Amino acid sequence: MASETDYVTLISKDGFSYVVQRSSARISPVLKRMLDPTGAFLEAKDNTCILQDMPGIVLEKVCEYFYYNEKNKDARDVPEMDIPTELCLELLMASDYLDI
Amino acid sequence: MLIVPAGRMANGYKKGLNGADVDFEKTWGILEKAFQEIHTKNASALSFEELYRNAYKIVLKKKGEELYNKVAQFEENWLGNNVRTGIVKHLTAPLMLDGTGRTLNTQAERREAGEKFLKSLKGAWEDHQVCMGMLTDVLMYMDRVYCTDHRQPSIFAKSMGLFRDQILRTPVRPDSPTLLEILTRIILDQIQMDRDGEAIDQFLIKSNVYMLEGLYDSDQEVEDEKLYLRSFERVFLQSSAAFYREEGERLLKESDAGTYCRHAKRRIDEENDRCRSTLSEATTPKIQRVVEDELIRHKMKGLIEMETGVSFMVENDKLHELSLVFDLEARVNPQKPELTKAMQKLIVEMGTNINRNAVAASQATAQPAAAEDAADDAPGKSKAGSAKAINQQTVAALKWVEDILGLKDRFDNICKASFAADQTVSTAINRSMADIINAFSRGSEYISLFIDDNMKKGIKNKSEAEIDATLEKAITILRYLSDKDIFETYYKKHLCKRLLLNKSHSIAVEKQMITRMKIELGNSFTLKLEAMFKDMTLSEDLANGYRNHVRKLGDADPKRVDLGINVLTAMTWPLEAFKSASEQEGQESRAQVIYPPSIDRVRLGFERYYSEKHSGRKLTWQTNMGDADIKGTFPKSKGDKPRTHDMNCSTYAMLILLLFNDLPDGQSISLEEIQVRTNIPMNDLKRNLQSLSVAQKTRLLVKEPMSREINAGDRFSFNENFKSEFTRFKIGVVSAGNKVEGDKERKETEKKNNDSRGFAIEAAVVRIMKQRKDLAHAQLLTETITQLSAQFKPDVNMIKKRIESLIEREYLERIEEAPVPSYRYLA
Repeated sequence: MASETDYVTLISKDGFSYVVQRSSARISPVLKRMLDPTGAFLEAKDNTCILQDMPGIVLEKVCEYFYYNEKNKDARDVPEMDIPTELCLELLMASDYLDI
Repeated sequence: MLIVPAGRMANGYKKGLNGADVDFEKTWGILEKAFQEIHTKNASALSFEELYRNAYKIVLKKKGEELYNKVAQFEENWLGNNVRTGIVKHLTAPLMLDGTGRTLNTQAERREAGEKFLKSLKGAWEDHQVCMGMLTDVLMYMDRVYCTDHRQPSIFAKSMGLFRDQILRTPVRPDSPTLLEILTRIILDQIQMDRDGEAIDQFLIKSNVYMLEGLYDSDQEVEDEKLYLRSFERVFLQSSAAFYREEGERLLKESDAGTYCRHAKRRIDEENDRCRSTLSEATTPKIQRVVEDELIRHKMKGLIEMETGVSFMVENDKLHELSLVFDLEARVNPQKPELTKAMQKLIVEMGTNINRNAVAASQATAQPAAAEDAADDAPGKSKAGSAKAINQQTVAALKWVEDILGLKDRFDNICKASFAADQTVSTAINRSMADIINAFSRGSEYISLFIDDNMKKGIKNKSEAEIDATLEKAITILRYLSDKDIFETYYKKHLCKRLLLNKSHSIAVEKQMITRMKIELGNSFTLKLEAMFKDMTLSEDLANGYRNHVRKLGDADPKRVDLGINVLTAMTWPLEAFKSASEQEGQESRAQVIYPPSIDRVRLGFERYYSEKHSGRKLTWQTNMGDADIKGTFPKSKGDKPRTHDMNCSTYAMLILLLFNDLPDGQSISLEEIQVRTNIPMNDLKRNLQSLSVAQKTRLLVKEPMSREINAGDRFSFNENFKSEFTRFKIGVVSAGNKVEGDKERKETEKKNNDSRGFAIEAAVVRIMKQRKDLAHAQLLTETITQLSAQFKPDVNMIKKRIESLIEREYLERIEEAPVPSYRYLA
């Protein structure tokens, strides 16, 4: 069984891999359950998650959001995150998928 | 430029995500296969992401409902086919037989089979939970989107419901009970074994209880419809109630109360532990109630009235067991009515016993006393007998007080040691004590006697603390007494004798006692008692003043008689205490005693001195109360030196002896002569002569004829051969101490008491009416009673009579037109 590591790896469908802090990734319930070391699935074993439907450019933005969220968790008057207009729809769908 | 790639990408993304043509059957096939793997614990090869993505896609294609139903279907089949059979396999013969009631198998077998069954059920439940947890994770998107939108229970809840229906609610065989019923029975059976002292696997049961707690009666998951509460707990409580009812009855019959208490306590603790370790915490208060109901509330009466119940415990000072009973009853009812009742009954019983004993003791002696009273003037030998009888009565009185105190101490002790000084019980005890003390008609007199006795001899050689304790004791009883005015009368009488006859051991202690009474009973109660003390001090000053006055006169007459005097205020001193019953009737007591000139001179001198100081006051000499120190010289007999003795005797005895001073040797005087020459009342004269001529140690006179009684015509002469080893001695007079009253005296006291109560009532009535002007009869009665209750418990009839008499004397008038009988105050 995999042990609880500080970092997990997220891989996009086009092969980009992002190593992010586990605590940040946990804001997505889906990722949280998926990578939960007590779970018995493949992803939990490897601490690696291949997101078959997500292009790297979206995943990058998602990871950016993870850290953005982590950083500004308790702060007020947070500056808005810079989101390119062309990525809006994809990001919307990704957030629905990941439930964030 | 910007838009074009975006649109392209979006299209591509959409295509990639939705796949446009998601084949439901195919995708479900993947999921189903995966679920199978999960259920057989083979999940590690599966990709969460893949499953999640598949489920996500299905839901996205609006096929959520189909997926939901499929999953439910899948679970239902799985549970029904695989899991149930696995559990039913463990329903071995011992359990089934047990179910039909024909328990042919031994307990051990039953236990083993039961444990197996429980284990398999527990295993199935835990597996189901783990698997469903994983399924839920994978189907998270479905739960989130489909179930919320369509108000379906989450797939997890749904599957729990399926478990309930498929496993627990399905009969094993068509005509047999469901697994749930069997489970309940098995757990109960195991608990029963536990109660019987067999070891069981508590953890195993606990897991099953967890399962029941995790399941709900319906899919709505209403909090108080847990399967545990709905099906198991109820049955459990019922069976426990039956069990404890039966056990309680058996124990009541078989063992003694102490064991019963211990057992009940143990059972309660056990059930507590059981709830914690085996069942659910939520059941604790309920099962406690059941046990308390069955073992305590319904049995308390029986328990207390058992042969070995409370009275036995009290008799044998089983404090620990009493405290057990107390704990038990306190558990079910903070008022503790049964125990309180039992204690009260016991106190009343024991108290009545004491009262009866005291009455019996006084009755035994009342007979001769009464006979003596009747034949008072017939000088009979009963005099001494009666004195003895009265002594016995005094002893009885002292014994009564001691007994009552003992009783109180005992119950106080019990209350403190066993009942945690509980408020309700101790009030009940106090009330009962008051009841029995007041039930005894001579209580007031006896208490006063008790104090008297202690003042005279009791406190000799005692430390301050001991004296304090004794006083405290007396006050304690006094507190219970309702007829305080009677007590006051007696106390005054006894105090008066103590003071005048110098019987009191310590004036300081006397004063202390008065202070205590003042604190306890209020100022007005002790007013007269304090006045008595004041008189004493004033008299001392007066006597000293007189002595100085005489000395200043220069009349240095060595032969002059020294005078010590007590001037008493007539109102405050109950002087009749000194008069015997017969004297009060005879006129002779009023007649002046004739004094020999040497004494008379002193008397007149003092009267003069006194009237100089306080004009307008009349002194009445109470010679019957005085005493005198005289010095007697006896001729030498047979070569001895002449002897002198200092003697202390009553004034009367002194007068008698002085007569013999003037008498030539060998001469004698008759009784009648003495009477004429001294004018001492015949009764006192006889008494004094008796002590002078009959008593062994103080035989200063020789009586002719020699007999124990003084009869008319007896002659007396000086006893020249008087001998005594003491230079100083006291010539006692028969019956001067404080004794229990004879019947006649008692009647007198009662009558006087009633009179004074009458005045008190009238005063109270007038006070109230003066304030209220108009008042209804009933209200007047209650107010009067409240006002007077500090002094005594007024009799309603007496109040009525007094009101009647007040109307006659035109203090009050009836209001004619009032709807209820009322009175008006007439100024």
